[in-house]
Amino acid sequence: MLLSDLLDARVLDADGRALGFVVDVRLVLDAPPGGLDGAAPLATPRVHALLVSPRTGTSFLGYERTSTNAPALVARYLRHRHRGTFLVHWTDVAAPTASTITLRPTWTPWSPTLPLPLP
Amino acid sequence: MSPRLRRAERASTPEEPLPAPPRPAGRVLDARLHLLDRQVVDADGAPVAVVDDLELEPLVTAADDGSAGTADGVPTLVVTHLLSGPVLLTRVLTGRPPHSRWHRIAWRHVSDVGTVLRLGLQGDALDVLWIERWLREHVVGRIPGGRRAPE
Repeated sequence: MLLSDLLDARVLDADGRALGFVVDVRLVLDAPPGGLDGAAPLATPRVHALLVSPRTGTSFLGYERTSTNAPALVARYLRHRHRGTFLVHWTDVAAPTASTITLRPTWTPWSPTLPLPLP
Repeated sequence: MSPRLRRAERASTPEEPLPAPPRPAGRVLDARLHLLDRQVVDADGAPVAVVDDLELEPLVTAADDGSAGTADGVPTLVVTHLLSGPVLLTRVLTGRPPHSRWHRIAWRHVSDVGTVLRLGLQGDALDVLWIERWLREHVVGRIPGGRRAPE
């Protein structure tokens, strides 16, 4: 599977109602140090969550996920354009296919904000 | 053009802010924001490729029975390779190159993710640069003076 199979895919809830489109995929590097084979400098990224926008299939510069607010006009416009974006954990996904992702009945929307870097 | 939902199809946007999710244990990267279209440089800082896509595979651990999935069937996916290929025309035509045309760089070679993705090995060891090596040997090397570094 390629990342582009997930990006822009239509997201449906368990009843088949459209929730939006996948605008990004959140990865977490939480595997044991050294990666899966023990020789890699970085941990292997794992698909942790999907970022879903109810309005558009694109995301530009990620203003809706960070506290960056400059240039002010650009930040305000892009935040408004991506309002309603939410994060859904991969464990809430019931059936991922190439063009449609169906969520479980118990899925929970979370804030899309990126966590601050680890110290 | 990016996909859109018609206004009547959209769910109403909640007024109150959404709760913050539990913080994951490791470093967090958003694939499109932090990886796609980033320059890849080798251990000497020489440009190697651009990340056009990522290859995802189900996680299989030694303890698995081969099912590679959670208890209810959706597999945990991990990034195994950075992909680079001739995507310009296929993106214009809203498609993507066939499987055989991608050049793969294993994630285990990535040593740092920042403004660029830094590899821990020399670019000459990668298949992605075969066309540059071929041109160096068969075209540039045949030009008088083409086999020595510029002054």
